[in-house]
Amino acid sequence: MGIAHLRALTGGALLLLLASAAAAHEIGTTQVTARFNRDHTYEIDVVTGPASLLTKIEHRRINPAPNLQPLLQLHEKELAGAAEIRFGGRRVQPEVTVLPNDTIRFHGEIPRNAGPFTWRWGLTFSSYALTIGPQQQWLDADATSSPYPLSRELLPPSRTDVIRQYLVLGFTHIVPGGLDHILFVLGIFLLSTKLRPVLTQVTAFTIAHSITLGMTIYGLVSVSPRIVEPMIALSIAYVAIENITTSHLKPWRVAIVFGFGLLHGMGFAGVLKELGLPRSEFLTALITFNAGVELGQLAVIGSAFLLIACWARTRPWYRPRFVVPASAVIAATGIFWTVQRLI
Amino acid sequence: MKRIAVIVALAAQASIARAHDFWIEPSTFRPSTGQLITASLRVGQEFIGDPVPRNTQFIDSFTFRQASGEKEVVGMENRDPAGYLRVDSPGLTVIGYRSKANPLSLDAAKFEQFLKQEGLERISAIRAQRHETAKPDRENFYRFAKAVLRNGDGKGARFDQPFGYRFEIVPETDPTSNAPLRVRLLFEGKPLEGALVIAMHRDDPTARIQMRSDKSGRVKLDLPKNGVWLVKSVQMVAAPAGSNADWESMWASLTFER
Repeated sequence: MGIAHLRALTGGALLLLLASAAAAHEIGTTQVTARFNRDHTYEIDVVTGPASLLTKIEHRRINPAPNLQPLLQLHEKELAGAAEIRFGGRRVQPEVTVLPNDTIRFHGEIPRNAGPFTWRWGLTFSSYALTIGPQQQWLDADATSSPYPLSRELLPPSRTDVIRQYLVLGFTHIVPGGLDHILFVLGIFLLSTKLRPVLTQVTAFTIAHSITLGMTIYGLVSVSPRIVEPMIALSIAYVAIENITTSHLKPWRVAIVFGFGLLHGMGFAGVLKELGLPRSEFLTALITFNAGVELGQLAVIGSAFLLIACWARTRPWYRPRFVVPASAVIAATGIFWTVQRLI
Repeated sequence: MKRIAVIVALAAQASIARAHDFWIEPSTFRPSTGQLITASLRVGQEFIGDPVPRNTQFIDSFTFRQASGEKEVVGMENRDPAGYLRVDSPGLTVIGYRSKANPLSLDAAKFEQFLKQEGLERISAIRAQRHETAKPDRENFYRFAKAVLRNGDGKGARFDQPFGYRFEIVPETDPTSNAPLRVRLLFEGKPLEGALVIAMHRDDPTARIQMRSDKSGRVKLDLPKNGVWLVKSVQMVAAPAGSNADWESMWASLTFER
């Protein structure tokens, strides 16, 4: 048990003490549970009889009966108005969902840099328990709860956190995570010893995968990984085989690299979807992940240049002894993956 | 502009947390012989209440009287409705609930407002005299709720016989009849003068009557319409030394249908 746990426990004990010292009406049937989730959302479930709730909202007598629950959905505004949810004093407007079993759920996103959570429910006259994780406090009718500080991991990350995190994720998805992407980029690099063809291909590839990464994440395109993944493998084989046959940048090669870039973008999107994007910083995360991927590619090309090309590219043996065998290995790997990913 | 001001004032008043009324709501005020009925406890204001489940910790006595005598109101712990009873004879059935002490604290402003609302200016005056107007309230409160049910004709239980609660609203005329209702307020067995008695109709908030009890603790209430009524009064006295409270409040209520 860590210190944080210990602190949480003693905090709970303190809350209980405070609660027993506070004033109390009769204990009613209402129960409230607040949850804060890892995806930076909150859910507050109010369990209470619909008849007395409707009586209070409609200012006319509603007798208990089955099927009253759906009527509450008509009073979303009043319910949201009665639920005072604050983070550090700032009130948030929750969404309201009426669930079966006499439950009304208030939910929404935890704001960035959220201060301690407080709760107040204006539609009860009796005392009730507010449960947050292992802690419970008794609230008297429309009293405000004691502030509940949220632990750091529950708060949405700040923009700088998101930038750092997704830049690293994008980078590590290439180096060392994505051997297939590394081989593709090396394939592009090995074509020519001149800067210009490499730069043209890298630019085409980058523009293409940025387009499909964004479009896939926003749900504008969707291609099954069962198609995308073998095609990515095939693209690796293609550029490597072409490296063996020519050292000139043919116009169609740029178009083909662009097309393959579209496929790789969908692959990146699949990974990014699995990692998840913070709702509060969706675009920031998308852009920085893409930038991280870019940096990863540049790192691959930069390393290859520094390790071999910068001193060996002018040597006569560079192409026959290095580019061709290396491309052959890359091509073989690409073909092997294509077959593997197809079956 | 004036209208807006009134609405704002009303809204502000409605949102003020205060000590709430407490009453008994039976599943029917017109049971028949042999019928099993429920007696729900309610806490709230303006006759709009939250269910209060049965909680032995708070109950001092929960009984009902009919022609055959007095019996316990039974029930399941932590369940609403709090009580069940079987009406076995014609005439009136009277249900009575007496709570144990319950601590309550209110901040000074809310307490002063509450004293005014419940006609307890006398307590306000004592606080002012002691320069305690700004002092938060620490009180123990007690509930004394009764309900009168009618099963056809016949005498049944005596509506005018006190349960012997420390503070009690005792009808002197049959509350279920159409005659003007006369009640007497008894505090520790003696008539209580000058207590504010409020009667409210369950389905018509405008049918509301407020009166002070006379020297003999009596109030005559001309209830303007038929239906379910709640008659209530709050009594407050200084708490005994060592009780960890400054005041004791006693909430008497009487519910019936006429």
